[in-house]
Amino acid sequence: MNSSAPIALTPAVNRLPLIYAGLALLLGLAVLGSLMLGYTIYTPGELWNALAGSGTSEADTVIREYRLPRAVVAPLVGAALGVAGVIVQTLSRNRIASPDTLGLNAGASLAVVGASAAFGTSSLFGLSFAAASGAFLTSVLVFALAATAGGLSPLRIVLVGVTFAGLMNAMVEVILTVNEAELQQLLFWLSGAFVDRPLSLVTRNLPLLALGGLLAAMLARPLDALQTDDATAQSLGAPVRVIRIASFVAVALLTGASVAMAGPVGFIGLVVPHAARALVGSRHTEKLAAAALVGALYATAADILARFVIYPTEAPVGAITAVVGAGLLLVLLRRRAA
Amino acid sequence: MTGGVAKLSQRAPVLGGLGRDRARAVTIVLLLLVVMLLVLLGSAAFGSTWVPLEKVIAVLTGGGERMERLVVLQLRLPRVLLAALAGGAIAVSGFLLQKVTRNDLASPSVLGVVDGAALGVVIFLALLSNESNALIVGIGWQPLAAALGACAAVALVFALSGRQASSALRLLLFGIAVAAAAKSVIMVLLLTGPIYRTTQAARWIAGAVNETNWGEVQLTALLLVPALVLALIAATRLPPSDLDDVSARSVGLNLPVFRLVVFALAAALTAISVAFAGGVSFIGLLAPHMARLLVGRSAIAGILASALCGAVILMGADLVVRVLFAPTEVPAGTITAVIGAPYFLYLLLRKDRLNG
Repeated sequence: MNSSAPIALTPAVNRLPLIYAGLALLLGLAVLGSLMLGYTIYTPGELWNALAGSGTSEADTVIREYRLPRAVVAPLVGAALGVAGVIVQTLSRNRIASPDTLGLNAGASLAVVGASAAFGTSSLFGLSFAAASGAFLTSVLVFALAATAGGLSPLRIVLVGVTFAGLMNAMVEVILTVNEAELQQLLFWLSGAFVDRPLSLVTRNLPLLALGGLLAAMLARPLDALQTDDATAQSLGAPVRVIRIASFVAVALLTGASVAMAGPVGFIGLVVPHAARALVGSRHTEKLAAAALVGALYATAADILARFVIYPTEAPVGAITAVVGAGLLLVLLRRRAA
Repeated sequence: MTGGVAKLSQRAPVLGGLGRDRARAVTIVLLLLVVMLLVLLGSAAFGSTWVPLEKVIAVLTGGGERMERLVVLQLRLPRVLLAALAGGAIAVSGFLLQKVTRNDLASPSVLGVVDGAALGVVIFLALLSNESNALIVGIGWQPLAAALGACAAVALVFALSGRQASSALRLLLFGIAVAAAAKSVIMVLLLTGPIYRTTQAARWIAGAVNETNWGEVQLTALLLVPALVLALIAATRLPPSDLDDVSARSVGLNLPVFRLVVFALAAALTAISVAFAGGVSFIGLLAPHMARLLVGRSAIAGILASALCGAVILMGADLVVRVLFAPTEVPAGTITAVIGAPYFLYLLLRKDRLNG
């Protein structure tokens, strides 16, 4: 794990504001792009009219009803998953872990598929509620099982998580195969999307997101201690068990809110932590902030790309995050070797 | 640097004192072997028609009536044996990868092999179909397409890693990147393609061993047996997990080269088994941990136990889909997790010094 040690623990401090400013600028541009680009391309003037005025032309409606929600959902989900990814990788001491590893996305998918199959749930809010509850229930279950028999070691957390992920994905597959016809429309939901998400969905989930973000921010310094082994962390006076529990709660809140908004969007939680560390180093205060920005930027950019890859049809954004993330990973790893 | 050597020399007496553990490991491996044989016989007996166990044994020893011979020898045994071979091979591949990368989340699917093979299958279905969506060549060529896809993916992972290929984390991450890219291309091809292609490809991706013939079993066995022997040899040479590159060189082991060889071996094992059985990769993640919890960290016992666990899980999954979901052909790969997970969780949560 130490093969990439040359990254300094503390980056040159004067570079930090520049990095944050650069990321924020890029994010601003991406959000602007997300509003303007798509099936029809709008000018900044049209955009201004739609957002500031109250006109009812076609452009106004499309921007306000379709473009604006996804320009809000994508960065929020990206930021949440990026931060959750950083926490999971520290919690599990494994750099190929991500929120998926803890089974949260699989739990959300199972709840959605189960709710549709059993109760015929089809409204967006119903599915969104099912997703969030599925993610929370899974996190409680994984956590409770990992904590029994005196455990809660990183290895045990990860193994219980992947087992549940596998188990729940299997149940999703079985339910989908048995009720093939009725559930076809769920497939698009299951690959994650930022399309057709009303703004009210965001406002409903904002409290969860804010709570998770706040908890993550409070955890920044304690998480640094968790990067060492348990004995060292304890001798530094860190309450290891409390930090792990709090981290779990933060990950559950952030991931739960984001699956409720966009479905299980993969790969963001895996790649963003690597990018954040390459940019600002291993200290969590900086890394979490950078992960939020990079995650937001990444999801927004992927959402824009998804509109053009198989134009005029929309590609599932999960596919795009994976390809873009793969490219990003290649660049990061190549660069670090030099 | 001296720490690694010191640890190395400390290990010998410790291992010598673990005679009871070794006996326990041998017992468990033998027990697993018995369980595997029982599941194998059970799989040949159960199905749409029930063939009593004594008749199965009669058929296997050359007797039995014509109908029973047809059911057992032609319909059931090929898929059962293929399940055993593929499950075992995937598990061994996962075992080698977890050991050599020292990452507990490593599995055949993160090397890009499985998704590369899936992409091969999807491209095969896309390119070689005519306007009415009928294949213009036999479906028997599908395993070849899968194998080509797997090889291409592995080659790409190694090419991208270049001189860093011996670094475990880099190779894993490159593998994940290639896997993700392949998965995305598959998703787009399936979304834009006709529905027939989607169902056919989805079946393969989930992993299924139905409609297997003896030719496939023979070919798989022919390819897998040498690879498994090599894996056993590699397992005996596995260095202690806390050995770093420099200390390894000082005791005469070139760790980077060793890692590359093991990666290639693991990739080959996976490519062969997914070519015929499809994406059954969850076994590769689960079975090695199961083996570790059962027999401890000994390499040879671990690899044998992994192979047996993998074989039992996939055969069991195939049996369950045949019996429970009878008319619907649910692919066996989808429920491997359901078969293996409960027992694995039990092992994991049992209070045990092996949990670490």
